Formats: sequence, structure tokens, C-alpha cells
Amino acid sequence: MTIPTKQLSLTINDKAVGPIDVPETMMMQDFLYEYLNLTGSRMGCGQGICHACTVVLEKADGSLEEMRTCITGAHWFAGRKIRTVEGQAKRDANGAITALSPVQQAFIEHFSFQCGYCTPGFVTGATVLLDQLKRNPVKREALEQVISDALDRHICRCTGYVRYFEAVRDLALKTPGLVKA
Amino acid sequence: MKADLSRRSFLKAGAAGIAVKISLLPSATQAELIETPPRPGADWLSGGKPKYRLDAIAKVTGGKTFTRDYRARDLDGWPKEQAHAFMLHATRVDRVFDGVDLALLGDELKPDRLVLQEDLVADGVAMPAPWPGFYGDVFFVPKGQTARLLGQPVAMLIYHDFARYDAAKRKLRFNDKVVRYGAEGASTTPGPYGAARYVRIDGGNPDAEDRYSALKDTTIRAGFKGTQPQWPAPGEGDAMARGMAAAAEIEREIANAGDDVLVLRRSYSTQSADASAMEADNGNVWYERGSGVLHALIATQSPHEVAEMTAHMLAKSKFALGSIDLRIGYTVGYGTKDHALFPFFCVLAGLYGEGRPVRLANDRYEQFQTALKRHAFQMEKVMVIDRKTGKFRAMTGRYQNDGGGRENFSVSVGTVGATAAQSIYYLPKSDFSAAILSSRAVDAGSMRGYGTLQTMAATEMMVDEAAEALGLDPMEFRRRNALKSGMKNSQGAIPSGALRHAEILAKAEKHPLWANRQKRKAEFEAANPGKKYGVGYGHVHKDYGTGAEAALCALEFNASGQLKLSHVAHEIGTGATTSQAVMAAAILGKQPDETVFGKVRWPQMPLETTDEPYTLSQEEEDRRMANPRWTPSFTSPMSASNSVYYLGHATREAARALVELTVWPAARSLWSRGIGGGQMAPEAVRREDLRVVNGKVTAAAMQPLSFAAVAAEAHRLGLVTGITVHSFNRWQWAEAEFEVPGTGRRRFAIDALSVKYGDGAPAERKALMTEGGWHFVERASVFYPPAQRNNAGVTYYAPMATLAEIVVDTGSGEVSLLSHHSILECGNQIVPELVSGQIQGGLAMGIGHALKEYLPLYEDGPGDGTWNWNRYELPTSRDVAVWKQTAEVLPPLSDTDPPKGMAEVVMIAVVPAIVNGVAHAIGKRFYTLPLTPERIKEALA
Repeated sequence: MTIPTKQLSLTINDKAVGPIDVPETMMMQDFLYEYLNLTGSRMGCGQGICHACTVVLEKADGSLEEMRTCITGAHWFAGRKIRTVEGQAKRDANGAITALSPVQQAFIEHFSFQCGYCTPGFVTGATVLLDQLKRNPVKREALEQVISDALDRHICRCTGYVRYFEAVRDLALKTPGLVKA
Repeated sequence: MKADLSRRSFLKAGAAGIAVKISLLPSATQAELIETPPRPGADWLSGGKPKYRLDAIAKVTGGKTFTRDYRARDLDGWPKEQAHAFMLHATRVDRVFDGVDLALLGDELKPDRLVLQEDLVADGVAMPAPWPGFYGDVFFVPKGQTARLLGQPVAMLIYHDFARYDAAKRKLRFNDKVVRYGAEGASTTPGPYGAARYVRIDGGNPDAEDRYSALKDTTIRAGFKGTQPQWPAPGEGDAMARGMAAAAEIEREIANAGDDVLVLRRSYSTQSADASAMEADNGNVWYERGSGVLHALIATQSPHEVAEMTAHMLAKSKFALGSIDLRIGYTVGYGTKDHALFPFFCVLAGLYGEGRPVRLANDRYEQFQTALKRHAFQMEKVMVIDRKTGKFRAMTGRYQNDGGGRENFSVSVGTVGATAAQSIYYLPKSDFSAAILSSRAVDAGSMRGYGTLQTMAATEMMVDEAAEALGLDPMEFRRRNALKSGMKNSQGAIPSGALRHAEILAKAEKHPLWANRQKRKAEFEAANPGKKYGVGYGHVHKDYGTGAEAALCALEFNASGQLKLSHVAHEIGTGATTSQAVMAAAILGKQPDETVFGKVRWPQMPLETTDEPYTLSQEEEDRRMANPRWTPSFTSPMSASNSVYYLGHATREAARALVELTVWPAARSLWSRGIGGGQMAPEAVRREDLRVVNGKVTAAAMQPLSFAAVAAEAHRLGLVTGITVHSFNRWQWAEAEFEVPGTGRRRFAIDALSVKYGDGAPAERKALMTEGGWHFVERASVFYPPAQRNNAGVTYYAPMATLAEIVVDTGSGEVSLLSHHSILECGNQIVPELVSGQIQGGLAMGIGHALKEYLPLYEDGPGDGTWNWNRYELPTSRDVAVWKQTAEVLPPLSDTDPPKGMAEVVMIAVVPAIVNGVAHAIGKRFYTLPLTPERIKEALA
């Protein structure tokens, strides 16, 4: 077979992955699904519209960025560090979950999702938002707008967004240092 | 359904050699929900309330939950190599299909297998057909023929590896040279699908016997000339002729109306819409050639139908079918994965996989191109209102819906829409008809709202306009006409229980959004030049159920008190699995330790069914029901509105039966221990004293007992320790009596029962457990709701009203919501957080329908394969007033007020509320949805 491939290495959920021969034009989501069996970041539109497919890009300076895997080629991630939804909760040596991330915990306690297909994208988006708030706290009166600005791009068809947004607001308010008096 | 082509006659003719009953499925057939750990722990329920959804942890951590998440390597016993398939589709219907040109792929990307309609014909693969034409006549467009509908598949390409599949699909996508067309050809789109009419004239007052109604007399059916229904001639003969005479009487009254009545005539139209379920259709099928086992993992809301129809599809084919092993993951479809054709394309993929598991999974473009749509409706409505009393004298409606190129549930959607058109109002006279048409559009089917969204929203818009024309306050007009308890619907049936519209109206009228709307309008517009403020109200009630709701549930426990719940329900996002577990726990005081959902194989229920619950005659049904193993229907598809009431009924009946047959006698035994009758002797303890408090069983002054203690005693005594029930509802519950050994004759609202006996049961009783380890207790007597009740159309309703506070930007024409408030009545809420989530989600979908979502039907529509969410705008958080919306739920009448299906009604009221709000804002009425900025600007010009 002569589909052009290149070797790809990167770090996913703190683990080194690769080198693996991956077609040059393959999108990251397909690489995650078909090569690594990481199916949590979900295919919604394939156009970068719905943000169900996002993962966290962990940058060298420690800051986080949300990346769409349906419109970003797998090789763009070469040498980079990402965290998928599967890597958000703490797990023991056998992979069993020992603690949810604060965002995940807030979402389940608020009954934030229904079908849950978009949930990994919201977990990713909210995690990145909270990281940004940690670096740049906002005033209380701006909080709702900041959440809307950060998460409006995420499409959910079941919930009407309310319980996702309320969960993020409650978490931001109860996490010290994210919201200024 | 067409009267001359019943499902039964077709199955008889088309599936010769296969018994037409549920056991027609090969004995090893099973379909079960794949569930992924981690699961909630023992403290999941606290005080009867779940801390989170049963599926929450798996979903929030990215666990494999959806069918789409699985590959062959994840499925026990499957080969690990995964093959992939995609389809090519026809984007025009005027020219004949002339083959596919795959030259673009070169040798390297050529498919490992190309499947065409001619292959299916040669191999004897039949169309699955709940009834003839339901899914059309062909899977793929045959060479030399035109496509039946836009977007119809022409070929399937199967690849043994993902990389080549992916590369080939990218090369072919959007390329209009790949599917070749020949000369112009005759249309192959089917003719109109059906027509039905519901006429009612009351007997002079709401309580009197109707002069004519569908329930008392009949639903009127018609054939077609072109696209026009040919209704029977009016006359004094049969019931249909008399119905047409009643319709003519109403027509004469309208034509001869004097100045004392307002006659309002309006036309409305609503758009075709895509459910945009985020999990696109998909499946993975492995056909083991040697054994003939068809292993499948398919996203569906109707797994039982998929299994049954697959057996039928292959009955005469070259593919020997030993058994079907159908597994299902969690899914979501808002109705569009119920009786969809896509699962059978997945089956084809597996059949032609040459022994490999083949995955067929739509991308979003393909999903728009092929997934079932919401029907576009054209509506002609007339309201006749007495000016003096402000009360309806009559309402009529002619409804046409476009079902596209395959019939599917279009007839049902059309008739349900017609029967809902009265909305919440009592009508002394009514005449609602539905003409269900075909076209080359992508096929439409079951989708949230199911026709009622279209017809009730229009009624509510028109009611608002009528009130204005009468000079009546819109709330007052509604109050005068709203259905009161015991009043009949437009089919002549009395709805179940109390109708609480007056309470809802009173609350809405006092709400600040409504009470202060004029003052707020003046203030807002003074402060915001160029923007117009309005508040609109919509008030609807939506039926839930299908008139043939069947379900199964099993509860069983071991001597340690470990409780297992098995249910036919599976998860489509609504929280059905959570609420079933909560309902069982509420009655038993014990949360299930193990749950099995989506269970299709019930060896303990050796039932036989004709599965014709709508068409079987009373005489035939009387004959059949003498067989204690017969039931009108085995099980229902999953829909958002049937889980808590109908599927929950099976859970509640199983739990209640367990209390009767097990908990009460076991607890009495424990309380009676000791000399002289123990602690129970001094008290007069009655069955009705039994309570579950803090997870323990008590009665009168009796020592609270844990479920474990009761379970141990039940096993020691050899009592019933497992219950499986089958329930059936035809706008009323079937009931039956059972002689369970050792318990006497008992009556439950179920039609079949199986039990298990505890460890201490005598050998002769255990010997009765011959059906998969259960004792199937043949019923001693049974009551089925009469077949005539099919004409009731519906008797179960849940009401919802919404106040929408909107702003119209007169420059851009955009309508936005500042806030909204909703009032719902749904009986007892099982999990209030899930109810609230359904309200919020339904409102968002309704807002999308009112303001944004739109699909052209034909050549520039989704069948062309270029639609995605860049063009089809879904509501985002900014569109739904995410921080400013509120809702309230009326308190239940009592703790025995049943939970009501509410997942559809919650999306409807907001639609007319927005349109009525726009009328308040700018003084213009609108009759076409969605309210796009262009339409607003045009109206303002």
C-alpha cells in the first residue's frame, strides 16, 4: 500500500505514544479512534463546528488550549502533549477510576448531560476555562458572560446547556482564586 | 396504515416458514445493552434520590457507552480486524442510475467489495417490512431505474482496513461524477401514503353521548386521486358515510355563520427539520458464515424490531441464519433511530464482509442525507367562535405532511398531528383530517413532537390571534375554552385523570413576565431604540404513548438480598435507566445491586403475539386471548415519552407484586417469630399498614426490617423471590388474574407473569421453574382494553405552558430570547433533575424549530449530501436564554399521581410562545416557520 504515511510520536494522557506510521492526511480523531482506541472525544460534525471532538493541548508553559481533532491532522500533534477525556479522571495502575476531575464531578452532580455524547467536549472546554480563570481570575459579575463566551461554541442537543453552565459556575465560585470579589 | 395491506397479511405471505410470533427470532437471538464500568456504588441512592445518573460516571469519563464507540476489538468473541464501509448516494431522481465510476480511486483504493442492488436480488435478500412499503421497495437504486428519493444509496463500498477506507471516502466525497446517471427516467417515488379524518359532534353538552366521534363510530379513511384524498360520500349508511355527513354539517355551519360568530381561516406551514442527534447512525455487523450467526452492534431505539426484521429480511436469502446476536450501546435519536432503515444497511455490510466485522457509520453529511426527518406540514385551519360567550363552536383543520420517499411512520405522524390539533381546548364540533403525502424528499419518520409540534403550535398561534380579533384577553379566552376534567377530546375519548389547565393558566397570568408585559415593553423600547419587546404565551398538552405500549421487567433477589433489575428499556439519554432503578427502590426500599437494560431475550416469558395491536378485530382478539400465552404486542421501541409511565409501569407492577407476594408474607413471618405470635401479636397489623421508611420495611409498630432480612426469610420460606411481568396498554391497562402457588388468586395490571421460588421452596414447586429457570404462571383470566379503543387516538396527556420574553431587532430582523418561564404538569417526578433537564433541552429544541432550523425538501436539501451544521443552524447557549430561564412543575395531586411522559411536550409550547411574542413586539402575525430574520424584515418593510 502506498498511502503516504509518516511516523507520529506524541504524549497522550501523560504516556508517550509512538512512533506509529500514520497516513499523512489522517485527522486526529481518526487516529485516536482507530489506532489508539480512545473513542471518548466524539465525532459530531467533522467540520469543527460542534466541538464534541476536542482535547486539551498541554502547552510547554503549562497553560491549556482546546483543540478540535476532527479538523486537525494527526501529525499536527507530533511532539505535543494532549489530554483526552479518558485522561481527566485519576486512575489506579489497573486503569480503574479513583477520582473524577472537579469538572467531571460537577457535571455528574448537576445532572448536566443526558445522552452524554457531547460531554467529553464540555469536560475539555470547561477544564480549559477553569485553567484560564486560575491564571486570570474574573470579577463575579462577569462570570456568566465568561462561561458563555468560552462554552457557547459547544453544541449540545439534549440539555439546553443550563445544567452544564450552572455546574461550571458553581465550580468556579467554590474553587478559590478563580473569581475576584 | 393502509387498510388493505395489513402487517399480518404481509408477514403471512412474505415470511412463509417462519412463525409470526416473537419466537420467530432464532432461539439464540438476543439483544442486550452493553454497559461499561465504572458503575455507581452502593451509596448511589441517598434518601431515595440518586446522586447522579446511573450512567453518569461512564459518560463523563469518556468510557465506551455509545454504539459508535465500539470496534470489533472491543467485542468479546469477535475477530479483532475491523473492516469499514461507506455508501454512495443518488443526488438526483430525474435520471436513471447508470452505475458508479470508481476510476478516481485507482487500483489501490478500489473497494474490497462493492455491493449493488443487483447483488441483493441475486442473493435473495428481502426488504425489511413492518408492513409493505414501510422502508420502500429497494435498498439501493437498481441500475436503469431512478432513485425513489434524494439521497437514496446506490452502492456500498467495503474495505478491509481503515486507512484505505478513509482515503477512498475522502476522494469520493462531494464528487458528482462518481455516481453516473443515464437518460431521463420515470419517477419511482411511491404514491401518497394515506389519509384519515376525525370528526366529532357532541351530544349537546360535553357530558352527553356524542352524536358522532371516532371512538364511538370510526376514523374515516380515504384513497387518493393525485394528492387529493377521496373521502367517502356523506350518507346514512356505514360509519364512515355518517362521519362525512357530520363533517358536511360542520361545513354548512361555517358557511352559514352569522355575525354572532367569528370565523377565522388561516394557513400555516412548518419546515422539514433534522434531529441532529449527536451520535450519527452507525452499526457494526459480523456474519459468521460457517455457523450462520449474525453478530451485530447497532445504534437503534427499536432493537426488537431490528432483530425481528433481520430474520425476515434473510428468510429466503442465500445467507443461512442460525441466530442473531444483537447488542446495543447507549444511543440518542429523538425518535429518528426508531424503525429507521439504517440498521439494515449495517446488516448488509456484515453479510458482504466476507467473514469480517464491518462497520458502517455515517459522518454528519451522510447523516443529513439519510437520517429520518421531521415532517414538513401544510395546514388549513378554521376556528368558529361565539362572539358573545367567547367559546369555540367548532374547529376544523386540513393537514398535509410530506413523508418523503419512504413511508415509514408518516401516516401515524400525520394522524397523531390531526388528533392533537385541538390542543388544550374543548370543541363541541371538530373535523381534523390528515393527508399523508409522498415526495422525492429524504424520508421523514418518528421525531420528537411527532406531528403535534406542528399542529398544536399552529393552533396556539391562531388562538392568540383569535383572542385579539374577539377583543378578549388571551388568557381569558384560553380559560373559557380549556378542557376540564372529564371532557372529551376530538376523538370522543375522555382523557386520563384530572386536567389541570386552569391551574397552569392562573399561574401564567400572575407571572411577572405576563402581568408586567405592557409596562416592561414601554420601558424596554424607550431604553433600546430599534428594538421591539414582546411577551408571548403558548399552552399545549401532548399525548404520550402509542396505543400499544408493551414492556417487560424482572426483579429478583438472592438470599443475601442482592437485588437484580432487568428491563426491556434502554438508554437514549433521557435517564430512563436511572428512573427505572429509582422506581423499583422507592417501592422496595432497596436499590438494585445489578441492572440489565435493553434486554430482548426473555426465556421466562414464552409469549406468542400476532403483533397487530391496531388492526386485529375484536372477534379475533377475543379468540386469541383465550390462549394464556398470547399478548397483543411483545414490546415497544424506546421513546423519550414512554419510559417513565409505560415502561415504568412494568417496573412498578413488578415491584408491587414483589411486595404482595414476598415482602409482606416474609415480614409477617419475621414479626411473628417467638412465643405467642411474637411482636406482631399485640398489634392489629394490616397489609395497608406496610410502609418503606429509610430503606426498611415496617407496618404499624413493627420493627423496621432491612431488605436483606426480608430476602433471607423469603428464601428460607421458599416464597416468590423473582417476578417478571409483561404489561400492555391500549389507552388503558390490560389486567389479569394469576394463581401463584401458595398465594391464592391475585390481580395485577399486567397480562403475563413469571416467578421464581426461593431456596427453601419444596421440590415440586421448584420443578415448575421450567422456563429459563422461571415458573411461567398462566393467567387465570385477562382483561384487554377493547379494540375500539384504538380509535381514542390518545387518552394520556401531559400539559406545558411557556411564557417567552423576546426582542426583535428591527434592523437585522433577529429575534432573541431575553428569558422564558415554563409551567409543566407531569404527576409525580421520579428524578426532578432529569425532568428539569428534559424541560431545558426540549425548550432549546423548540427554540431551534421556531427560529433557526430549516431544511429545503428537495434538490437543494439534505439529500444532496452537502448539509452539515455550518448550514443547518442549531441553537447554542446564546439562543436559549441559558442564564435567564425558569420553570416550575405543578405539585402532584397525591403520592399516587403517576409520573407522566413529558419529554416531547416540553419542546412545543415555546414555539407559539415565541411567535405570539413577536406579534406582541411588532404587531405582525406569522404563519410560516422558522421565523428567520429575512421573514421579520420583510414583514417590517
